[in-house]
Amino acid sequence: MTAVEVAVIGAGPAGIAAALAASETGARVTLIDEHPAPGGQLRWRIVALRGVDDALDGLPAFRAAEQLEARLSQAGASMLMSTVAWGLFDDGRLGVARLDGGFLLQADKFVVASGSVDIVLPFPGWTLPGVMTARAAQILLHLHRVVPGHRVAVLGQGLDAAELVGDLEAVGVDIVVQVADPAEVAASGGERLERVSAHGESHEADALVIALGRQPDPELALQLQVELGYSSRLGCHLPLRNELLETSRPGLFVIGEAAGALDVAEAFAEGRLAGLAASGATPERVTAAREALDRTRSPARTAEVEQLRLGASVDARLDEGASSPWQSWAQAATAGGQNGPFSRVTLCRCEQVTVGEVRQAIVEGAVTVDDIKRRTRAGMGLCQGIFCTRAMALLLQAQQHISPADLRPMTERPPARPLPLTHLVELSEQQG
Amino acid sequence: METSNRRVLRHPVLGELAHARPVQIIVDGRPLLAHEGEPIAAALLAQGIVVCRTMPARDEPRGAFCWLGRCTDCLMTVDDEPNVRTCQTAVRHGQVIRTQLGLGQWEGPTR
Repeated sequence: MTAVEVAVIGAGPAGIAAALAASETGARVTLIDEHPAPGGQLRWRIVALRGVDDALDGLPAFRAAEQLEARLSQAGASMLMSTVAWGLFDDGRLGVARLDGGFLLQADKFVVASGSVDIVLPFPGWTLPGVMTARAAQILLHLHRVVPGHRVAVLGQGLDAAELVGDLEAVGVDIVVQVADPAEVAASGGERLERVSAHGESHEADALVIALGRQPDPELALQLQVELGYSSRLGCHLPLRNELLETSRPGLFVIGEAAGALDVAEAFAEGRLAGLAASGATPERVTAAREALDRTRSPARTAEVEQLRLGASVDARLDEGASSPWQSWAQAATAGGQNGPFSRVTLCRCEQVTVGEVRQAIVEGAVTVDDIKRRTRAGMGLCQGIFCTRAMALLLQAQQHISPADLRPMTERPPARPLPLTHLVELSEQQG
Repeated sequence: METSNRRVLRHPVLGELAHARPVQIIVDGRPLLAHEGEPIAAALLAQGIVVCRTMPARDEPRGAFCWLGRCTDCLMTVDDEPNVRTCQTAVRHGQVIRTQLGLGQWEGPTR
């Protein structure tokens, strides 16, 4: 019997757990990540881990990443680091790119564990150098050992913001102001950030960190048009999954933060379940993994997972009158008509499209994110829309009174990352 | 040149900053010392340099925003190659780095 081939995309907590579990069953596992080493977010975080497993309990996250890397090499999983997975195709092949070229990887099962991106929303001055995301600040502080600034403003008030404030205070950085609401902040300066005003009060600052939380990023699964449902908790759509975390595409699993499991222990437990299920482990082991996963989930998350279960009746999924987080941002961004304070603010950083231009496109009849993209180019740039589509959706909801549950995410097509054309030429030569 | 030192030499959890071989890079014509192996954008930020490129539509200066290679605000021209993601590209001794306008321009020999 030939071993099942399992490709796992993303080597964060969920992907690592999936690779370890599938290897344990005897599958041939390939673990792919665009970063140079496995660990994902654990590599740039220093908080103590809780509830993952006994050996990792209490370890700073980056130490846990080192231990997990050692487990992976013991398990014999094939590791493709510094490797970008850019396209998942109907025929069961995955486009991957490395510095030295690209190829198509064939597998029986695919596990997408591609994590999340930081939530950002436009505000006056947010394109100034010195403004950055929370994980950017953590990567700078902990991987590159450089402080983002000496006088830092923080936008956000949740768990991510609290962790970031702790990280900054640990190295003696002065937090000049912390503000919860993205509608209440403005940055200003010439060539770089110089001042941050919050609730009308101005502060001198050389960095502003956006810590509004994280948004699942299951892009490769979206390329295959898996069925989606709306999470009102996270304000975005998530792939529907069965009890084994498999999507509407048989053989395609989505796990961890990419599927809304924003807690490390839960993501790790999801990885173990998907890895066992994908590799054809015995029902006993699969059941044990399911029970262990259930124990990591909060009641709210358990209810959400039930609602977003593949095959659940559509009624159970309808989120009548769903509201989304950040509606105060949409109010501020649409205040004052076309001459309002947000009109000239850049919404799409890559294609340089303003809030006013997007609002005008909506006035002229755009009713979906794809419509706005076709009319304005917003979302068509190099970042693939990860930093602007949330703002576009919020403006659509506010101006067209569309329920967020009815707003489909932007259509995703390969490549998921910018790719040198030479890679594609080589691919066609391999096949020809 | 701004010389504000932003490096974290001692960290309560991560410990002492490991010694790194110094390498010299040229940034917009000026020599700058960097730590071998670090990304170009980190070497620049450590010296207080935050502008990587300017976006032409509204003359917006941009600097590294996501530090994950995704936002592309950190694109610069490195050894005549435009659009290099400086948050993902390690410094090399003798590298010539320039801020760029928009998507930059190929100026070296065509490949």
